[in-house]
Amino acid sequence: MPANSLLTMLTTTPLFAVGLTLAAYLIGSGLFQRLKRPSWLPAILIAALLLAGALALIGLPYATYRQGATWLTVLLGPATVALGMPLYQQLPRIYQLWRPLTICLPIAATLAAFYALAIAWLLGSSDTILASIAAKSVTAPIAIGITEQLGGTTALLLGALLVTGVITIPCVSLAARFLHIDDERIIGFALGLNGHAIGTVRAFELSPLAGAFASLGMSLTGIFSALLLPLAWRLISIAS
Amino acid sequence: MPALSGFLWLISYWLIGEVVIHFSGLPISSGVIGMLLLCATLAVRGRVPNSIAAAAQPLIGLLAMLIMPGVVGVFFIVGDLAGQWTAILVALVLGTLLSVLTTLWLLKHLIGQSHAS
Repeated sequence: MPANSLLTMLTTTPLFAVGLTLAAYLIGSGLFQRLKRPSWLPAILIAALLLAGALALIGLPYATYRQGATWLTVLLGPATVALGMPLYQQLPRIYQLWRPLTICLPIAATLAAFYALAIAWLLGSSDTILASIAAKSVTAPIAIGITEQLGGTTALLLGALLVTGVITIPCVSLAARFLHIDDERIIGFALGLNGHAIGTVRAFELSPLAGAFASLGMSLTGIFSALLLPLAWRLISIAS
Repeated sequence: MPALSGFLWLISYWLIGEVVIHFSGLPISSGVIGMLLLCATLAVRGRVPNSIAAAAQPLIGLLAMLIMPGVVGVFFIVGDLAGQWTAILVALVLGTLLSVLTTLWLLKHLIGQSHAS
């Protein structure tokens, strides 16, 4: 049987894409442990590189893979809901800090979008690119909705999300060392606010406390940006 | 099967989120609405039922794997944006570094202040 028709046969079942994802994830996590958990190379990036390499090697189109992998990604919905549990468990500690968090969130979430947009605009990026990277710090399901409203492209948005999420992790450890911060609440909140789901996953590796603050930062940034960005976009286009 | 009934709870909250979005037109994802509802419910009940914990704990551990299929898509759009990548990467990397510094600095001082007062 030629390799091509074998591949066609295997990809008729979503289990092939699911198996490929599980294998890449397990090997990626294994390599990550073997490399002594480097903060500049998160497990998810290793796994994503392996997976992309495997797809290119066997010649499986991304669209076909993605369709099969829907069987996994559909779980993102209940998994996001599940974050309500650590959020509840850490409520007393979050409540202690409600005042600084309420002041910090709108400023930090606005700046998270503003810095990148200002730099891209100065470097001469097109309006479509600006609209695609505006939601770079927002968790994927919310960010996709925002980007569609702004008129950006989803593929570029997901790329911006990956780069932002991955780069947030070493940025936070560097900046925390620079500013002499070892408070896991602050580090977790910064990871979730800037690095959405990827930062939150990293925070849960640090401790449940950091993870809870990251989930909080991630969800508040998502809600705030979903309201702010479309509004800001409308104001700017009226003004210009 | 406590995990199974917990999973049903999580799915139900997500579906409630869908209904809320459908009627309110809010530009928020149903997952986030479900998460806030779950947190509120647990706060009212005052404890985490075993079934919810049994379903939520493993799902949270799997979050990284669940976002992987979307993340991989990036490697397949690289060609479409030839010539634009430098500007985009500089904006994302530098923008994120500045934004992380601001968040950490701001929160450190705000928390320091509330402790001092």
